[in-house]
Amino acid sequence: MTTTRAAAADRFQPIDPQSDDSSPMLNQTDKTLARIRTELLTTFSAADWESYNHLVGWLRDTDVASHALKVGDDAPDFLLPDVDGRLHSSEQLRRNGALVVSFFRGGWCPFCTAELCALQAAKDEFESIGATLAVVTPETRDFPRQLKRSLGLDLKVLSDVDYGVAMSYGVLFRVPDEIKAHYSGLGFDFGARHGSPVWMLPIPATYVIDAEGRIRSAFVEPDFTIREEPAQILASLRQAAFTFK
Amino acid sequence: MELHQVRYFLAVASTLNFTRAAEQCNVTQPALTKGVQKLEQELGGQLIYRERQLTQLTDLGKEVLPMLERTLASAEAVRRRAQEFQRKDVAPLKIGLAPSISASLVLDPIAEIAKFVPGLHVELREGAAEKLVDLLLEGEINAAMVGDVQDVPARIDDWSLFEERYVAVLAPTHRLANRRSIGIDDLRETILLERADCDVAAKIQQSYFPEEPPQLGHCSGHDLHLQHMAAAGFGVILAPEHMPRLPTLKTIPLEGDPVSREVRLLAVQGRRYSPALDAFVKVARLRDWSFEGSDRRVPHAAVPEVARAPA
Repeated sequence: MTTTRAAAADRFQPIDPQSDDSSPMLNQTDKTLARIRTELLTTFSAADWESYNHLVGWLRDTDVASHALKVGDDAPDFLLPDVDGRLHSSEQLRRNGALVVSFFRGGWCPFCTAELCALQAAKDEFESIGATLAVVTPETRDFPRQLKRSLGLDLKVLSDVDYGVAMSYGVLFRVPDEIKAHYSGLGFDFGARHGSPVWMLPIPATYVIDAEGRIRSAFVEPDFTIREEPAQILASLRQAAFTFK
Repeated sequence: MELHQVRYFLAVASTLNFTRAAEQCNVTQPALTKGVQKLEQELGGQLIYRERQLTQLTDLGKEVLPMLERTLASAEAVRRRAQEFQRKDVAPLKIGLAPSISASLVLDPIAEIAKFVPGLHVELREGAAEKLVDLLLEGEINAAMVGDVQDVPARIDDWSLFEERYVAVLAPTHRLANRRSIGIDDLRETILLERADCDVAAKIQQSYFPEEPPQLGHCSGHDLHLQHMAAAGFGVILAPEHMPRLPTLKTIPLEGDPVSREVRLLAVQGRRYSPALDAFVKVARLRDWSFEGSDRRVPHAAVPEVARAPA
């Protein structure tokens, strides 16, 4: 059958509101995420800086990251749909080795898309040491599907529908009203993207979970512009394998 | 935020009593109060209004309650699924479908869920949208898929799944059967079979028949009835594009600004989601509902002549 759904693509908003053909971000896998971060920060408007400082300051003050699961904790199991509505259970994903779970904020966030591209570039290396990678977004509907397509990702992109997994990992927070106003102004409607009238986001976080379901490394950073470098995740994976096998 | 804080808050919200909430959560009252306060700090305001004997939810408390209930239910569904699995429980899932929603739409999601919920036992019910809303509120069904629907009560969660067009469906012997598309003038001069309780009747009227009502032929509330009548040459039906058709019928797109509708998923707020319902809602909200699956770039004009169920 043919489609009426092409219109869905029109609804998909740009990944980076400031990006143009000279975007410093995509397909620059030779750069570290720290380097890309520096470049992205130079594109910040005054309003972006204000919102950024406010959010990071608020997250630090309320110490939201203190709830996050830590090394040695049991990783909560999950059952989540991928971008095509196929379900994946954490037990299955870690059956044959370590599982890397990376929470990201969504396809609208340039730091997230940079991270996803970097993870994509490192995917073969993850697999060569027997690890499985799953990236987790709060977005629903066709947003994760469009993101995967537009970035050409071949990663397991799972949707944390209703935020249950981010909450059980302790990385979930309610978007403060000032930040909500800023993102609304940029045209990002998390209500539509998440299917939730209350706007929630995860703190970006990367966990390495061993085959028994124990957390072996945890990177949780309230400053959403800072992500764990794939090289560092690989080092954690190798260390976990070395220590416990 | 942390799971236990949310549990404490939900216990207070349901009992409106800190002592009973603490008992329910198996913690001391000061521990419960502290947890709720921490959550309030994080959510940026008071959730519970406390004055002497009176314990009530604040506006913020009421606003976040349904979301927190859903999030907690979602987080706990995995553990309950493991328990059900061990006990080899039957996992009932009752899904209501509006008459204009074909069961073919839910087959693939059901097959997907069954891989992870081995005791899955699905019951499908058909009913008009208003009836399905009542059944949801009564707990007779767990979820419903409907077309355009008016006045969904606040206690019901409502997600848009996809949009679809209406197309003309007719017998290959019909005088319009060889058209590539059907214009509004043709439609006005042909007999339309009437769909009882059609959820887009008003839209069709407005788009195609703003001045004069259509020439209506025989009537049924059942899509298959209408299809048989169309196949017998009694008239044309306007049908949602996803609806599987009898092989003897032809499908032809409508010209101009086609009538479309949203297909929505409904579920009751605040009910403990069973693992089966949790999985159904999750799959439904991510699934690619477009009919041609991987290739979405087929232009609109290329409607095939033989309709298929969405794969």
